[in-house]
Amino acid sequence: MRFPHRRAPDEPPKQTGPAPAPPRPAPPLRPQQPAQAGVYDWQQDADWQQGAADSQQGASDWQQGAADWRSPHQPQPRPTSPKNIGMDLWRRMSLDAEETADFPPRPPTGGLSYRPDTVCDGWSTHTLDLRLASVRGQQHRWDGRPREDDAAAAWDPSTGAVVIAVADGVSDARQPHIGSQLACRSAVDELLKQVREGGGFVTDWQKLLSTVHWQLREQAGRLLRTPDAGVAETAELLATTLVAGVATPTPEGVQVALLSVGDSGVWQIKHEELYPMLGGKTAGADGLLSSAVQPLPYVPRDFRPLEFRLEPGSVLLVGTDGFGDPVGDGRGMVGRLFADQLRRPVPPLGFAHLLDFARETFDDDRTLIALWPRDRERTEP
Amino acid sequence: MMESNRGHLLPIYVLADESGSMDEHIDDLNDGLRSLHQALLGEPMAAAKVRFSVLGFSDDVIERVRLVDLRSAAEFPRLTTRGMTSYRAAFEDLISRIPADVNRLKAEGYQVHRPAVFFLSDGLPNHGEDWQDPHRRLTDRNTTLGAPNIIACGIVDADAKTISQVATRPEFGFVANKGVDVGAAIAKFCTALTKSVISSGRSLGSASPQLVVDKPEGFTVAIDVI
Repeated sequence: MRFPHRRAPDEPPKQTGPAPAPPRPAPPLRPQQPAQAGVYDWQQDADWQQGAADSQQGASDWQQGAADWRSPHQPQPRPTSPKNIGMDLWRRMSLDAEETADFPPRPPTGGLSYRPDTVCDGWSTHTLDLRLASVRGQQHRWDGRPREDDAAAAWDPSTGAVVIAVADGVSDARQPHIGSQLACRSAVDELLKQVREGGGFVTDWQKLLSTVHWQLREQAGRLLRTPDAGVAETAELLATTLVAGVATPTPEGVQVALLSVGDSGVWQIKHEELYPMLGGKTAGADGLLSSAVQPLPYVPRDFRPLEFRLEPGSVLLVGTDGFGDPVGDGRGMVGRLFADQLRRPVPPLGFAHLLDFARETFDDDRTLIALWPRDRERTEP
Repeated sequence: MMESNRGHLLPIYVLADESGSMDEHIDDLNDGLRSLHQALLGEPMAAAKVRFSVLGFSDDVIERVRLVDLRSAAEFPRLTTRGMTSYRAAFEDLISRIPADVNRLKAEGYQVHRPAVFFLSDGLPNHGEDWQDPHRRLTDRNTTLGAPNIIACGIVDADAKTISQVATRPEFGFVANKGVDVGAAIAKFCTALTKSVISSGRSLGSASPQLVVDKPEGFTVAIDVI
């Protein structure tokens, strides 16, 4: 499409002198409006009277006003805002009987490049809806440490395959947030390469692990300024768990293949129940918890990808233990909440908000990717 | 139906020597406990994950507080000196107490980390008493449910050999250096250790996960001074 105000590179310039005056005065950027009482003028701050603009109305009024505003061809009064949208709509959802103590999170410190507290994403292909969120845990918000979890996802248009990765940097390592980010990005890149060449399927899991392993070691070498960082050195700096894999649309349905290193996990919501499929902390013989994990760059000697068909009406969840610990066996309050709320795709911001629920003693970073197979009749995203 | 996954808890036991020989240091210990309480209150995420018991021992064991949530606890009752120093009585008490506590917390729907015991003594147990046998049973993970990690802190002039035998690993035994403010040092040490044990992040794995304890300020690893 050509835009009338743009000039093709081979067209000669139409004029070289000063721009002519417009044929008529330029239209205002916004329609003229009568001066309204209660509009804040920063240059006359002393005269400002907040009461004139503050409607004192609640969120339900605002939502009704917003709906009215969207209806066409009917001039409507300007919608009024609730007193504080952020507080009213986006306060962390507490799952405890008592109100959870809230506090302003501290910014991450330690010479980091930018590391956001929360990331979320969401998109749909012909066959799958994806939501992704990674939120900093309350302990890290309190301590002013960065989010150590990360996630990544991508789509191969030629096969329709969706590749995903979730990682949890090990707190003992010195730069766990770099480890998890690098593991996710390099895993997704390698998986994309394999599915492009493999008709939508992963062809070499060993190569996937080797790629992430060597990416971590290369990065460790750069950080340590040494040409060859050893495995132990790399682990001390960048150790991370990883779950990575692919969801491939086939005529028989969506085929899923995932590989996990460490205790990050895989769950499914099916028949309105959430249940674990892979990963999670295992209690010892005496039923006590252990927090030890064998992460990347250590590559397990024996590994087997988890492969299954994701049936219509079910939901695939891949996440870190910050999600897995409160979910437990899926039959508790948190499992029921997610089984109920994620029956259908929710908006990405809502997905992140849901994941940031407050539950006492569960204060780790949380990361979750959800995949819904799309109904057959909905063939276009 | 009981909620099956209410949270993760770490039971901590302060096992404090109240025998007559501790007379000089008991105020320091009480100060240290008060500071520890205050320090953990300043760490709300950590405090939520701890259930705290304070036990004073001499000829027997007196339970000062049991499995208390520090956020709702008033000040700890004060330790007072009395009687002799029976390590045997102290460890026998824990052999029955800890499994009962672990089962109680699990029945309430919590998942439980391996308990930690902070053992504070001048390292002078009753002469000729066999405390090693109950100590062995207490710390044997095949015998006692929730067999604890014991971090032993010897107060000034403590017998280093005894302290290192009480600790479940050589690097968990410490003796206070001369001139150190024992109360403040213990409070700082216990707070740091608690935070590290219950931090939600994970430790680098090994076949047998191990508690990592850094040397407290003002203390020397007991094994080093033998």
